[in-house]
Amino acid sequence: MQPIIRAHNLSYKINDKKLFQGITFDLVKGKALHIKGENGSGKTTLLKIVCGLTKPTKGDLTTNTNKEICFIGHKNALKQYLSIEDNLTLMNVGNHQDIQKYLSIFNLDKSLDVNIANLSFGQQKKIALLRLFLNNSDLLILDEPCVGLDMNAQKILVEFLNEELLNGKVVLFSSHISLDIVSDSLSI
Amino acid sequence: MNIIRFEFLKLLKKSRGWLGPILVFTLIMIAYPLTVELTDIELGQSFFSILWIAALLVMMLATEDIFLEDFNDGSLEQYAISQNNLSFVIGSKIFIYWLVIGLPISALGSIFCFGIINQHNFSFQIFPVLLISTYIFLNVFSFGNALSLTKGSILGILVTLPMLLPLLIILGKVVIAINFDLNYSGFLFLLLGILSIIIVIIPMITSYIIRAHLE
Amino acid sequence: MFQVNRAYPYIFYLSLAIYLFSLFWGLFLTPEDFVQGNSYRIIYLHVPASFISQSLYLAMAIASAVYLIWKVKLSVYLVRSIAPIGAMTTFIALISGSIWGIPTWGTWWVWDARIVSTLILFIMYLGLISLHDSFNNYEKADKFLSILVLVGSVNIPIIKMSVEWWSTLHQPASITLSEKPAIDLVMLYPLFGSIIGFTGLIACLVILSSKLQIIKREKNKSWVKDYV
Repeated sequence: MQPIIRAHNLSYKINDKKLFQGITFDLVKGKALHIKGENGSGKTTLLKIVCGLTKPTKGDLTTNTNKEICFIGHKNALKQYLSIEDNLTLMNVGNHQDIQKYLSIFNLDKSLDVNIANLSFGQQKKIALLRLFLNNSDLLILDEPCVGLDMNAQKILVEFLNEELLNGKVVLFSSHISLDIVSDSLSI
Repeated sequence: MNIIRFEFLKLLKKSRGWLGPILVFTLIMIAYPLTVELTDIELGQSFFSILWIAALLVMMLATEDIFLEDFNDGSLEQYAISQNNLSFVIGSKIFIYWLVIGLPISALGSIFCFGIINQHNFSFQIFPVLLISTYIFLNVFSFGNALSLTKGSILGILVTLPMLLPLLIILGKVVIAINFDLNYSGFLFLLLGILSIIIVIIPMITSYIIRAHLE
Repeated sequence: MFQVNRAYPYIFYLSLAIYLFSLFWGLFLTPEDFVQGNSYRIIYLHVPASFISQSLYLAMAIASAVYLIWKVKLSVYLVRSIAPIGAMTTFIALISGSIWGIPTWGTWWVWDARIVSTLILFIMYLGLISLHDSFNNYEKADKFLSILVLVGSVNIPIIKMSVEWWSTLHQPASITLSEKPAIDLVMLYPLFGSIIGFTGLIACLVILSSKLQIIKREKNKSWVKDYV
């Protein structure tokens, strides 16, 4: 089976300082990879390289998917001055069939007209995660998805990811805490 | 097409983004007669230089936030990952800004022109010139603001303003052309030509710059 | 770099000699101009400086293109090290022109096409430097610098043309540069000499400045540690 991501000997430098080197991994359908490392070890950079935002200094990366990559980063891509509803429109998930389900799980269905700026950090993170829950991708890339989430939401996230893995999707995530997901791990 | 709709929604809901520049423009146009002796001849002489400079300044203000907000909240990241063509996204962003800010300012400018110069044909002829030049200003300042994205808009303006000086010279000539009824359409075509080059090239260069910022 | 180091003193002393010689020739061995008197002799500084200020931008544009196409790092170091020197020569050209303007035109500043476009060039040089210095990530800074230099190089001829077009209407003809008496051969030879000498001196400055850039940027490399 052809891997969805094939990374070979990736290395990255900033201002001639090495961040990481010799990163090699393959990910086939239905597999997850947990990227571990200290602060500043280059986890985010590695994820950005896989997304195609950053070019590696050396090494090859091929991604085999013709759908968009779903990327949840540190920045939540929400407009502070718009309501939840408008933000869902901007995320292009406003008409998704499952949207009501997730909104009621997260207790947000009553406050659709509230501006994002008036929500707590965790609530904002939940809305940003709707991009993941309603995704249309084969490749899910998550950068510290659990930051700011309560236990209940973390459980929902883990369940969702396990289900997606069964559906044959590929998950690449970085996290400080260990999540209950069957995954290989890579330390950088 | 969704992109254009989304950008429209984003700009329209942020009233300081579009109403602010329009009001500043109006204020400048109201303020400048206060600085000169109120005789019609003098007002008419300095009107156009104030008009062009005011349009330039206001476009400068309007583009200040054009990429910064999207960069800070991560929207640009999502655009760059998605299958949208980034230079198309940037082009449509600039277009929306022109539609929401440049168009009203052009209309206001020609109204003020009518109020001060008091000739119909003058304000009718100045309107398309304003339309084109505000679009060019927006494009060039967006390029500058993309360059200095996280470093404040002063730097972007510093590096792009010299490039707009030729345009100001052309605009000065257009006024003379209207005044003496010379070759006005020739100038209009010249401006359109400049616009059509800029409208293609600036989004391409800008998307390259934005990608470099996202690295 | 080591070859350049060896050639450097020869270039320096040769061009210094040429420049001083032409300066001496120009200042003491040529006759007075019957319109401008002795004041015209500032051309031995003014003309080389204004010539160099534009050629340096051209050099930067070529180096930027080389960087963007072939990713040659050295060429962007060159761009960055030329920029302040370009600003300096442009400044010299402006100031010497302004000093020259006092006895000939009776004023420090004239809205003349060439003067205005030189001033714009000066501001553009400063803009380039401040753009590059405001980024901590050198790779980004290099990319932005070279893009801006290239965009500017398209713009400089346009700016020059349009400013000339503009000044033809506003400018009373009596005080344009073209009005000065056509230059005599007696003055032309030392002028050529001074241009060549000045160019050589500026080239030495560029070499020194790019050496500094290379050492600054590659300071983590072992060869730099050996060299310093």
